[in-house]
Amino acid sequence: MQQWDLMAKTFENEYVEKARGEGKKVIGYGCLATPREIIEAAGLYPYRIKALGNLDKDLADAYLSKFNCGFCRSCLHLVLDGTYDFLDGIVETNGCDHLRGMFENWQYAHSTDFFHYLRVPHENNADTLAWFSEELVLLKEALSTHYEVAIEDRDLIAAMELEEDAAAKIKMIYESRWDEEIKITGSEVISLLVLKESLPTQQYLQILDSFIEEMDTREPLQCRARLFMGGSATDEIDLMAELESLGGLMIADSFCFGGRIFRDKVEVSGSAIPQLASIYLDNLLCPRMFEEYQCRKSFAMEMIARSRADGAILFQNKFCDLHGIENVMLRTDLEKEGIPVLVLEKEYGTRADTGRLKTRVQAFLERIGK
Amino acid sequence: MIVMNENSAMPGEGLFERVHSTFQMLSILPEEISEDQLNEILKLLPSGNIDAARFMLAPSRWEVSRTSLLSIYTWLEEARSAKEEGRKVILVPFNFPPEIIHAFENASPITSEVMSTLAAGMLESGGEEYWDYAMGLGLPDHLCSGNTIELASILAGADLKPDVIISATPGGCDVNAKIHEFVSNRINIPQLLLEKPTYDTNSRRGKEIYYKNFRRLVKNLEEITGETLKEENLRRVAEKANQASELYYDLWELRKRRPSPIPGSSAFLAYGMRFSMWGRDEAVESMKKILEVSIRNSKDGDYNAREEVARLFWVYLPFYYDGYEYNEWLEMNDVANIGDALLLFYPQVIDTSSYDSMMEGFAESAWNMGMTRQMGAGSMSMQWTEDIIAAVKEFHIDFAIYCGHHSCKQTWSAFTILRNEIKKRTGVPVLCLQGDSWIGRMTPMSAILDEMSLFLKNVVIPARKRKERSESKEG
Repeated sequence: MQQWDLMAKTFENEYVEKARGEGKKVIGYGCLATPREIIEAAGLYPYRIKALGNLDKDLADAYLSKFNCGFCRSCLHLVLDGTYDFLDGIVETNGCDHLRGMFENWQYAHSTDFFHYLRVPHENNADTLAWFSEELVLLKEALSTHYEVAIEDRDLIAAMELEEDAAAKIKMIYESRWDEEIKITGSEVISLLVLKESLPTQQYLQILDSFIEEMDTREPLQCRARLFMGGSATDEIDLMAELESLGGLMIADSFCFGGRIFRDKVEVSGSAIPQLASIYLDNLLCPRMFEEYQCRKSFAMEMIARSRADGAILFQNKFCDLHGIENVMLRTDLEKEGIPVLVLEKEYGTRADTGRLKTRVQAFLERIGK
Repeated sequence: MIVMNENSAMPGEGLFERVHSTFQMLSILPEEISEDQLNEILKLLPSGNIDAARFMLAPSRWEVSRTSLLSIYTWLEEARSAKEEGRKVILVPFNFPPEIIHAFENASPITSEVMSTLAAGMLESGGEEYWDYAMGLGLPDHLCSGNTIELASILAGADLKPDVIISATPGGCDVNAKIHEFVSNRINIPQLLLEKPTYDTNSRRGKEIYYKNFRRLVKNLEEITGETLKEENLRRVAEKANQASELYYDLWELRKRRPSPIPGSSAFLAYGMRFSMWGRDEAVESMKKILEVSIRNSKDGDYNAREEVARLFWVYLPFYYDGYEYNEWLEMNDVANIGDALLLFYPQVIDTSSYDSMMEGFAESAWNMGMTRQMGAGSMSMQWTEDIIAAVKEFHIDFAIYCGHHSCKQTWSAFTILRNEIKKRTGVPVLCLQGDSWIGRMTPMSAILDEMSLFLKNVVIPARKRKERSESKEG
């Protein structure tokens, strides 16, 4: 296992430790809709909350219920057992009802010094773009006031430019799997993207550069089937590796710790906040966004076509309403286009479930003649 | 006769038609029903309907139920004849104020949760076959049955097809907003969104955004119906809504009395009106009838729970099936059912002086609808807690129950905070049950009542006795 891969699977990584040692504050956020550029522009360390397939949920179960998604319960357990004590502040988002519940219990049972609620609209139109821009201004002001830092437009633009560089490099790595020779597994891509959300962008870019160099020297991977995957938030890197060990490689995806970050580079110009709002809202390929299903469907279709995927596997964490319903729509539409689809419901972070999932995937590979 | 639709594993007859037929039958019953007449009626009904009929038609309840049932019948009739008469059928969720639809001449509202509730309480099957149909489509088993039972009937093509779906749930409930999107895609009708920005109830910023969203929704409705809302129509429904609101607060005051003179079904009937005929004469008449009976009960000392061993408030929803058994339990144990969280929609008097003031008033009503107000708040746990604690204190509640529906991820995630705070700030114990408010086979009423009996015996009554002893010592 390489150093970056290990770091992706660590909560308090060496960069976090170093930053804290230097007196830098670490701000946690829970959803891809949070513009981490604002946190970086404030001179703070942005860190996306993850659970990495953590099995334990019992501390969280004293607050959340068994009817709440396992990912959120796992995250809350990690908060309550002290794993996340390195976070100095939290930015809540209304990603979904489970996530809101997780944040509210976090605040209730284990509050942090700084807590800000960033409201993200559920639609994308001129009115909601204006609303989201104002929300970003409120976030900027809250950080600025609490940490007594000025967030200048030029700092924000610099952070946005770095983020755009990262997006462009990720896209290059992501697309490299669409060649005949595949040199990176899907679980490695997830790992790289989990890492992206755990590091300052500057440091992440350095890791990406060395990874690209190293990737070029690799031998092509054996591939039994080319698979598109999508569904509920998953940072279960090991689970993905287990499933890929059956020979079906994930060569494209629409996960939120994954392909949802895939987008064309934007040339940053003009006023930062409205542009940032637009970048985030326009590219938020999450089923929480209403009136946007056709975009998500087109994204999946395009990924499948460009990557020449043999089939699609759609995951949903038990009790995930957004993906649970979305997957029925997507499965129906993909099957209409002749794309074989497997829908898998899973309990987040439960290794006892791995065998069942592998059997289903193996049967699917056989069904599609691979 | 129930026939199978050849395109689906569904009864060929939709939920709407079946509920409508039941109401048609109820509408011809006389104003007063004797015990003998009731027994004769029960002989004519299928076995599965008997308890529901016995619950509603019992002479002690029929007087207060009848006006509301007739009102619902009118509501169903209007939706049923809408297409023939050139009106659009607008499917709304329970957290959307139907009065704005009543202000349109070219539209009739139908509320999915009201339809599912009527099916759960009145159809022999409880409407469970529609839920099964939804499951057959591959939809998850943790959807809201309150919404899905009716929507599945629509999805099967067996029901009255709406022309548009209003989804007022983004911000307050993912699962409902998402199933609305699913239905909209599947049967190819527009979905109009009314998002609640998750700000605190008194947030000026939140209200500004919401009012803008509300105006945009009305504009979209005008385009779909081809009708510009007339100020006089808005005023007509606003005035009726105001009358109903005043009656709501009169009932609120009576609800505080101990023993409670309010009929046990009054909360259910009141919010049934809120979700269907608010803004219409029919809702005003229903509310008047509940008030009239409550005042008379108060004068005559005629209480549902004579000794009133305990006063119960449901912090979320009660159960909508097997109402007869539940009611028998209340009577047997001398427990007064004071109401549930759906009653907490706090209607405001709408300023009818101008078009704008009325639009603002309707938007304010929508902002305060049950669930929108609590789960769509800046902190769902805190707003829910504040509203429930206010009700617990005002209504002198002895114990509360949370009936945790597996679909309701928001309340499940906020329940621990709610229970802790209620206990800490009022001393009132809260029983947590798991069950589906609309589908009896998930948790049978007998199991629910067993748990309630144990809680009453082991927690509520001893706590009340301790409190009385301590009060008498102080006295």
